[in-house]
Amino acid sequence: MSKHTFSIGGIHPQDAKFSRGCATEVLPLPPVVYVSMAQHLGAPAVPCVAPGDKVKVGTVIGEPAGFISAYVHSPVSGTVKTVAPRKDILGNNVMHVEITVEGDEWEETIDRTPDIITEIPTDRNAVLDKIKMAGVVGLGGATFPAHVKLNPAPGSKADCILINGSECEPYLTSDNRIMIERPSEIIIGAAIMQMVLGGCRCVIAIEDNKPEAIASMKAALADLGYKNMEIAVLKKKYPQGGEKQLIDAVLKRQVRSGALPISVGAVVQNVATALAVYEAVQKNKPLITNTMTITGDLLPVSGQHNYLFRIGMPLSFIAEQAGGVPEYAAKIVSGGPMMGKAVANLDASAVKGTASLLYLSKEATKRKEEGHCIRCAKCADSCPMGLEPFLINRLYKAGDLAGMEKASAQDCIECGCCQYSCPANIPLVDNLRMAKGQVMAEIKNRRNNGK
Amino acid sequence: MTGIFLWTVGILAGLGFILALVLFLIAKKFKVEEDPRIDLVEKALPGANCGGCGFAGCHAFADAAVKAPNLDNNFCPVGGNDVMKKVAEILGYEVKQQTPKVAVLRCNGSCENRPRINEYDGVKSCRVKAALYAGDTLCPYGCLGCGDCVAACAFGALSLNPETGLPEVDESKCTACGACTKACPKGLIELRNKGPRSMRVYVCCSNKDKGMFTRKACKAGCIGCGKCAKVCPHGAITVENNLAYIDYTKCKLCKKCVAECPIGAIHAVNFPVLKPKTEEKKEASNE
Repeated sequence: MSKHTFSIGGIHPQDAKFSRGCATEVLPLPPVVYVSMAQHLGAPAVPCVAPGDKVKVGTVIGEPAGFISAYVHSPVSGTVKTVAPRKDILGNNVMHVEITVEGDEWEETIDRTPDIITEIPTDRNAVLDKIKMAGVVGLGGATFPAHVKLNPAPGSKADCILINGSECEPYLTSDNRIMIERPSEIIIGAAIMQMVLGGCRCVIAIEDNKPEAIASMKAALADLGYKNMEIAVLKKKYPQGGEKQLIDAVLKRQVRSGALPISVGAVVQNVATALAVYEAVQKNKPLITNTMTITGDLLPVSGQHNYLFRIGMPLSFIAEQAGGVPEYAAKIVSGGPMMGKAVANLDASAVKGTASLLYLSKEATKRKEEGHCIRCAKCADSCPMGLEPFLINRLYKAGDLAGMEKASAQDCIECGCCQYSCPANIPLVDNLRMAKGQVMAEIKNRRNNGK
Repeated sequence: MTGIFLWTVGILAGLGFILALVLFLIAKKFKVEEDPRIDLVEKALPGANCGGCGFAGCHAFADAAVKAPNLDNNFCPVGGNDVMKKVAEILGYEVKQQTPKVAVLRCNGSCENRPRINEYDGVKSCRVKAALYAGDTLCPYGCLGCGDCVAACAFGALSLNPETGLPEVDESKCTACGACTKACPKGLIELRNKGPRSMRVYVCCSNKDKGMFTRKACKAGCIGCGKCAKVCPHGAITVENNLAYIDYTKCKLCKKCVAECPIGAIHAVNFPVLKPKTEEKKEASNE
């Protein structure tokens, strides 16, 4: 298969996947964990434990508070100490359950043996229910509850599920590692999702900068011998991991403005989600662990790690295990350097979607002084959604809401390509995010008034 | 030669006359009948087009005021009672006197009171900053200090104090149009009654965290202890979500709460210094 990529825009930032060779290590248990109730997109979960309750690994501690919401499980065994608001990585108050760790006792239903179960269940609803009960959310970044995405609205049918192994953000290597180390489990997870969606085609998309992962996944697929499943090697380009970009790259289909991928018959899930689905369905293990990368632009290789962490571990504890925060670090980012969030509070705890702790030096992260737009159109060339960021930026500053909507500000995916390519260092993505928010609010308002 | 000259002038003059006649007739035929009072009212208004009244500009306000059956819902905060009196005279309506208001910042998280825990390097805009994270201090409710309110003020009444990092309101310029209250993403600016001789008592904090967290974040933050509510003889103070609030319509400016507050979060402004207590009480009863 020849190498494909998405058709418009995109950039080629420095790869910087320094930690690609670091095997995944399991972190020891901290003395105390703080489990956030808002680890997914949608309504935060409602805590269903009280201080003093004994919990085991896998006990439900938070119940979904709406259709788009997810279960939260205890990642450790011990005693619930408090149920109170605590600051998350952005410094906002979020309900957390604090659990003092005592031993490591798991719920009996969880299968902890290392055997790989290849038999794929056939009862669709039972599998969906298992995924829901295990609190599986999309681990590609948006943490959208997986059971909602895997159960498209009546009338829409998926003819292809894409498993996203592109990991297009620089620095991040955790998806790469799980594809090298646990390929069979990912493929079985993908096959389970394929069954749920009614036996559609399945494509596992991996960028060509991960040859080991491609080799390992291909070997595992050949071993398992699944029909109707293939591995697509994509040409490296950022933001290939974006849903709409991946669909364009693999299926050559374009999702319309405001529509969901299912409208073109596609469902996209991350490789880490496939792994979580495997564990939930075959091993009865809820989503309480994930892999993250500890890396940085000036960090020596000895300090780089890929960790299997449990949710609720304080980030400061994880940083301590990795050898402490390096002195050069001017900014700590959770997630990739393009779309990740700066950590404002290192005492916050890891959540389901935590992908990395990225230590960036002052040189790498300091914003340069903003210049004037020279209409070079580099931002428009690099925009993977085909927008004109310089125009939307100007309309936003003028407060022209109708103009912003006409310029499709609502289609911005906040990938940061425009800002990356701007020679005048204009904070395009910051302003576009605002513009998008205003237009989305206006559209929602109009829809509500229309009804 | 003279003939050509005369012809040219004559044709042009004739053409001009005919076109002027056409324009005159069209203007007469398609004349938009507008209530002449709208123009009069607009002239009486300050003409700032600030939108403080809730309409797009002064003309829109004048239009609405003329069409409305009374002036209950239309008030120009910038012009105040004087201008509204004139408007009422033009329209022959009654107008209710409104107490003049002023913008009040309910945050005292100056650089000194509220230590910065990280450095914000992004766009100098409160809206952008608020969308990114909780801010560069431990207080997720406080002023972000990027000056969106200053930019929103059409009257130059707001300025950022570089020492405290907080915006300051110039009372002589503030017209209470409310543009800043909408611009602040944290909703920290409130329009409060200006009070007699501009004397006001208010809680200078918007932190709804529990007292323990507020203390950690800011030296001047309201911890919601409720002492002020207990001491207030007029029942003007309520404590909700760990935050005290003084109802300016009930406050009689006795300043008992100011003395009681252990944090100093309640501010009393524009009170004369070293004035004997008896006179103060008189003023309060005069209000």
